[in-house]
Amino acid sequence: MTAAIEASGLCKSYGRVRAVTSLDLLVEPGQVFAFLGPNGAGKTTTIRMLLALQRPDSGSAKVLGLDSGQDSVAIHRRTGYLPGDLALYPRMTGRQHIAWQAGARGLRDLSYAAELAERLGAVLDRPARELSKGNRQKIGLILAFMSRPDVLVLDEPTSGLDPLMRSEFGRLARDAAAAGGTVFWSSHELDEVQRLADRVAIIKQGRLVATETVEHLRRAAPQAVHARFAAPVGPEIFAGMGGVAVTACDGDTIDLEVTGPIGPVLRVIAGRDPVDFTSQHADLDQLFLAYYREPAAPEPTHAR
Amino acid sequence: MHADFTRLDISNRRRSLIGYCLGMAVYALLVVAMYPAFKTSTSLDTLIRSDSTAAALFGVTGPISSTGGWLNGNIYANFFPLIMLLLTIGYGAACLAGQDEDGTLGLLAALPVRRTAIVTQKAAAMTAQAAALAITVAVLVIIGRSFQLDITVADVAAVSAAVLLMGVDFGLITMAAGAVTGRKGTAIGVGTALAAASYLISSLAPVASWIRPARYASLFYWSVGNSQISHGVSPADYAVLITVGIAALAATLLAFRHLDLH
Repeated sequence: MTAAIEASGLCKSYGRVRAVTSLDLLVEPGQVFAFLGPNGAGKTTTIRMLLALQRPDSGSAKVLGLDSGQDSVAIHRRTGYLPGDLALYPRMTGRQHIAWQAGARGLRDLSYAAELAERLGAVLDRPARELSKGNRQKIGLILAFMSRPDVLVLDEPTSGLDPLMRSEFGRLARDAAAAGGTVFWSSHELDEVQRLADRVAIIKQGRLVATETVEHLRRAAPQAVHARFAAPVGPEIFAGMGGVAVTACDGDTIDLEVTGPIGPVLRVIAGRDPVDFTSQHADLDQLFLAYYREPAAPEPTHAR
Repeated sequence: MHADFTRLDISNRRRSLIGYCLGMAVYALLVVAMYPAFKTSTSLDTLIRSDSTAAALFGVTGPISSTGGWLNGNIYANFFPLIMLLLTIGYGAACLAGQDEDGTLGLLAALPVRRTAIVTQKAAAMTAQAAALAITVAVLVIIGRSFQLDITVADVAAVSAAVLLMGVDFGLITMAAGAVTGRKGTAIGVGTALAAASYLISSLAPVASWIRPARYASLFYWSVGNSQISHGVSPADYAVLITVGIAALAATLLAFRHLDLH
């Protein structure tokens, strides 16, 4: 099956600044794929290269099997795009934007655009310059979704939207994927990503540091272990134990972050007369933040 | 499927275009209406002859009381090209580099349309706006024949077309600079600097022998600086103006294909 999006060795620099370095990416059709990373990580640059808005210094990108350098028009015909810094013509209304872009795409049936406008509560008859950021974003979402494209490339699509509309965006994304489309979206919103995404790629300083299913990430997330003992203990009882970090130690209680097997930890705790014990997987937020904060990017991990 | 960038841009700039045309119409009407009062003024001709260099700076090189001198000195050699250049250089800088800077171009470039089509349609939009201004001036000058201006419709149309072509040339050069750099300010700087140099060379060439050989490099010379208002626009004038336009358009097309958009 042809990949919805495939990038191989993408590199892009702006002067001396390396925006994207040797980025490989594979997005299967029908997936909701989240592209995560802190500001300046290279998300927007990657998106622009995928859509042939910018040329990579090296490497290649394909969308629906089409080369972004050679077949950009064919790619654009089958792609809906929402830029991260959406700018509309200030004097034109949302309805005028929709009509003009529909003409440019050869889209005659605007019933889905009307449905989208209703679902999102978009204001269509006021000039864009009079609209709030959220209302402009709704127009941008309608423009991206209205042609029911095979691939949606959305750069921070929920920016400026209220919680209700974020939820509606989630339904739109899932609907698009259920209909066989692919949604590739960059985000800072970790809650949304956990709720919506099938797979996640994390980019940091222009390098991909992880590509995982959300479920795999969840399983791989560190366990937060809290134990209380009958007598005071010190952190040294876990010394030399791989995959265990003591995060707090106060008299008879100890907190651990366990990324390795839990068995050896349980054996140590059991041998010290424990009186209380809890263990839970860390929230994905913490895992993402750990990736973000990691001074040296961890080895890329990949799971299908 | 039709992405009509020409209509989109003209529609979005219609207010400023109407402003340009109205302002130029009022000015041209005043100039032609005042001609009878100055037609017999020999003292003005004497004044200009006494300081031909200063007069040349304003594009006046002959007797200003003649039809050609009056129209050249008040409309065709200075004010009309200035307004034309404001329009074309302004649009040339805004339509690619400016729109890339304000973010509206990325959304358009992600539509199923070739970059070549974006450039050619925007060049057409520029030409259409410049033509609206040139037609406005030409119509007002033709109306001026009822104010004792002795000039044929063909000559008015020809010299207005020459100013139009020159304006589009500088607009396309500005567009090319924007497509190369992606910066609106730089594009305006390049277009304005070249237009100013071109004007000075053409204006001073008749009175400064050291600058005269350079006049062939001036688009003003090929448009209004070689007494076209009196002697007509030659095929060579048209050829130069059209060739420069085609070259600037080709450069824009080439540069825009490689421009990283935002």
